Amino acid sequence: MAFWPFKKRSQRQAAALPTGDRGLLVFSHTSEVIRAEKALKEAGWRIRVMGPPPEIRSGCDLIIEFPIIEKLQVLRVLEQVRLLPLNVVPVSGPLLKPVDLFQVKDFGRYLMVRAANMKLTVDKDTRVIVSVSGGGCPDVPYLARELVGRPLDAAPRPRELGHTLCGYALELAFQEMERQCS
Amino acid sequence: MTEQVDARGLSCPQPVLLTMEKLRSLNQGELVVLVDTDTSRENVSRAAASLGWQIKALEPEGDDYRIVLQKG
Repeated sequence: MAFWPFKKRSQRQAAALPTGDRGLLVFSHTSEVIRAEKALKEAGWRIRVMGPPPEIRSGCDLIIEFPIIEKLQVLRVLEQVRLLPLNVVPVSGPLLKPVDLFQVKDFGRYLMVRAANMKLTVDKDTRVIVSVSGGGCPDVPYLARELVGRPLDAAPRPRELGHTLCGYALELAFQEMERQCS
Repeated sequence: MTEQVDARGLSCPQPVLLTMEKLRSLNQGELVVLVDTDTSRENVSRAAASLGWQIKALEPEGDDYRIVLQKG
């Protein structure tokens, strides 16, 4: 495995790779990004879902950052699940730097994590979820109803409740909130 | 005198946070919350209910909403 230094590392701890070592997988639809993320993580690849850089004007609102040196291996995994990226772009300059999906805002007693189009706000003292907002997907009111008023540890996971990009983004926010509050 | 939170023009989660702070300081009584989006209306109502407050009235006022919360 010495030839494959990016494999089998902890995905949650995936730190940013230096510019020049990174590539971006651009897909037409967010559903493809979600499937690709799942397939690549299951295969043990160190990847990150991020926002597209300003230079990339095609594709959807999410991209996957991966180690460019492993391009052929990564594309092979995607082929196996019948996914074809719209584009594969090496990160060759600052305008091609992907945008972090997360925005964290401290409101004093409350902490908000925004992931893509969804915001999750938690009471820092009690860890109770006080607000779920954003989206524009039909399942957002349902997600909010199920999560608001419950502590993080006792709340159902958005990935188990939602079926849209909003549910997916809320799951990312949930994971980041758990990391922030740990 | 009924207390009031004017959260019009604020984006989520700020209407919820302002309302929750006020509800905590009041502990009981009546609070009027003004919001200007459907999302804020739903989120404020949900947050108030999670603190044991009841929605006494929810009235559209032009493009805004007037939520009357009550406890005790």
